[in-house]
Amino acid sequence: MPWYLYIALRHLFPQGRRFPVFTLMSLTGVILGVATLIVVISVFNGFGYEIRSKISDTFGDIRVVNGGLLGNPDGLAEILETKGSVDTAIPYAQGIVMMLYENKPLAPIVEGIDVRSDREVRKYGNYLLDGSMDEFDDDSILVSSGLAGQLGLSVGDEVEMYTPLMMLKLLESDGSDVLLPRHVRIGGIFQTGWQRVDENTVISTLRLMQDLYNLGVGAHGIRIELKPGFETEEEGRKIAESLGRPYYAQTWMDANGDYLSIIKLEKRMMFFLLFIIVIVASFSIMSSLLTFVIRKTREIGLFAAMGATPRQLAACFCLQGMIIGVAGTLLGIGLGRTLLYFRDDITSTLSSLMSVSDSMNQIYGFAYLPARVQSGDLIVISLLSILIATLAGLVPAYKASKMNTVEALRSE
Amino acid sequence: MSSTLIETKNLVRRFKSGDEYIEVLRGVDICIKEGDTASIQGESGCGKSTLLNLMAGLDQADEGKIFWNSEEISRDSYPVLAIKRSSLIGMVFQSYYLVPEIRALENVILGGRISGNTDNLAERSRSLLERVGLGSRMSSLPSTLSGGERQRVAIARAMISDPKVLLADEPTGNLDEATGDSIMDMLQELCDEKQVSLILVTHSGKYAARMGRSWILRKGILEKKSAK
Repeated sequence: MPWYLYIALRHLFPQGRRFPVFTLMSLTGVILGVATLIVVISVFNGFGYEIRSKISDTFGDIRVVNGGLLGNPDGLAEILETKGSVDTAIPYAQGIVMMLYENKPLAPIVEGIDVRSDREVRKYGNYLLDGSMDEFDDDSILVSSGLAGQLGLSVGDEVEMYTPLMMLKLLESDGSDVLLPRHVRIGGIFQTGWQRVDENTVISTLRLMQDLYNLGVGAHGIRIELKPGFETEEEGRKIAESLGRPYYAQTWMDANGDYLSIIKLEKRMMFFLLFIIVIVASFSIMSSLLTFVIRKTREIGLFAAMGATPRQLAACFCLQGMIIGVAGTLLGIGLGRTLLYFRDDITSTLSSLMSVSDSMNQIYGFAYLPARVQSGDLIVISLLSILIATLAGLVPAYKASKMNTVEALRSE
Repeated sequence: MSSTLIETKNLVRRFKSGDEYIEVLRGVDICIKEGDTASIQGESGCGKSTLLNLMAGLDQADEGKIFWNSEEISRDSYPVLAIKRSSLIGMVFQSYYLVPEIRALENVILGGRISGNTDNLAERSRSLLERVGLGSRMSSLPSTLSGGERQRVAIARAMISDPKVLLADEPTGNLDEATGDSIMDMLQELCDEKQVSLILVTHSGKYAARMGRSWILRKGILEKKSAK
């Protein structure tokens, strides 16, 4: 071990003496900064992951559309299912209807799903707050929690549905026809946790949607779920290329790009804001090391008199910053991961203390605090923290290396 | 014939005091050869330590030349001087300057590490500490050692790099007479054993008289006092 590294370690962790306050304070700053960064960034990752999985659950991985009506959706779905990356390809229809309940109108988006697919049925079954998928048929619909709340709907209620097609027919008939709405039963109320869907969405069977929009056996698109391990963007491009025009593939990321970019931006903002803690800690390291250099002036003079070069003297103090950075980062990662491990206990204790136990579920649709530790984040946080702590040691190191040996030896 | 280790020619050193310059050294010539022992005496503030620092290459002269092993070093850069110094010169100070965070043995080992003389370092450090009478205090921290013991550690640390010249700046200045005597005995014995030239800066006429040559620094001029 080079002598300057040995001295750096001994200055920070002296033998047979109490742990120096300087080391303790400097380490604490880095530990807290790194731990906070890891906790917050991992929770952001967790939220992002949960929201992404909800979006891809409700949207599918990829949707194949042709800008109009697919005349033979089953045939196209069969072709798509022959592709190695495609797990399921299911036709869907989508449109807007006017829904009336006790004279209260709303215009939700209706998505007709193919009940022949067990996967589709099971998926919405998982999100049901009330009702059952057994009740879901061509005369019933599932409504989102937001929609149910706005209209005051309960399972078993009956609503009237009008489609734009009905309005068109009425206009064309010069008022001679009577507009008869479609009466449907509320089979269930669901909540996915994805606000855009939960706000104003109705799930119907594909057949009901085909009836309402007079689609015959047609559909508006094919919803594709990929097999695990396939890259959505890449597969979307390949599918679009293989089908050719007028078909095109829209991934769940394309469709929700604005929202996803906000999540990314928020994560980056939090990273930079919280990194200020590490920067503040680095100033504490710098000021402590500067004081230390002044305290060790005679020692620096002695090392120089014994043959130490200015670079070695600088390394001695710069390494102290780096050692604090490395030790603080490792301990910070440990503390951060411990806090994440006990996050549910911590949040439930805090929630019960503040009497806000259900707020997270109500706002985010999660009954727990999601968190995902990503190795990429750990590497970036660790490298930046160590770099900042090392840079903090540069100023004291420069001061030590430029010290006049004679004056240093004479100092009181 | 013994070779010249350190030589100074017409050394001048001035210090600024207010608007004036004070000439502390006025053309000092000194020559230290292998095996020499010499003392430099003088009043406080007369420039003894300044001369020692110049000889050690720690300070720069305003005029004159310094030679180490007959090579002029006045124009050498700081890092080059540091490397040359570590193999030629050992230094002992009045205030010991031990590193308080490490034990006695490690302080000695540190001297070897800094000078780059690391062959069999731990073993040599132990034997040097035993030689200076601190065989039982190797694991002690400096704070638990007496003044005399600290100076012994400092001497062992200076000797670990196998220097050819030992520059001792008032090594007994902080010690009582009995301890000072034992330190001087030990210092001289060690220098004799290892054939190390000793330059002693001291206020004590008794210790100065033990050296082969004695000088007095008076008004910036180095005067020969007597020969042993």
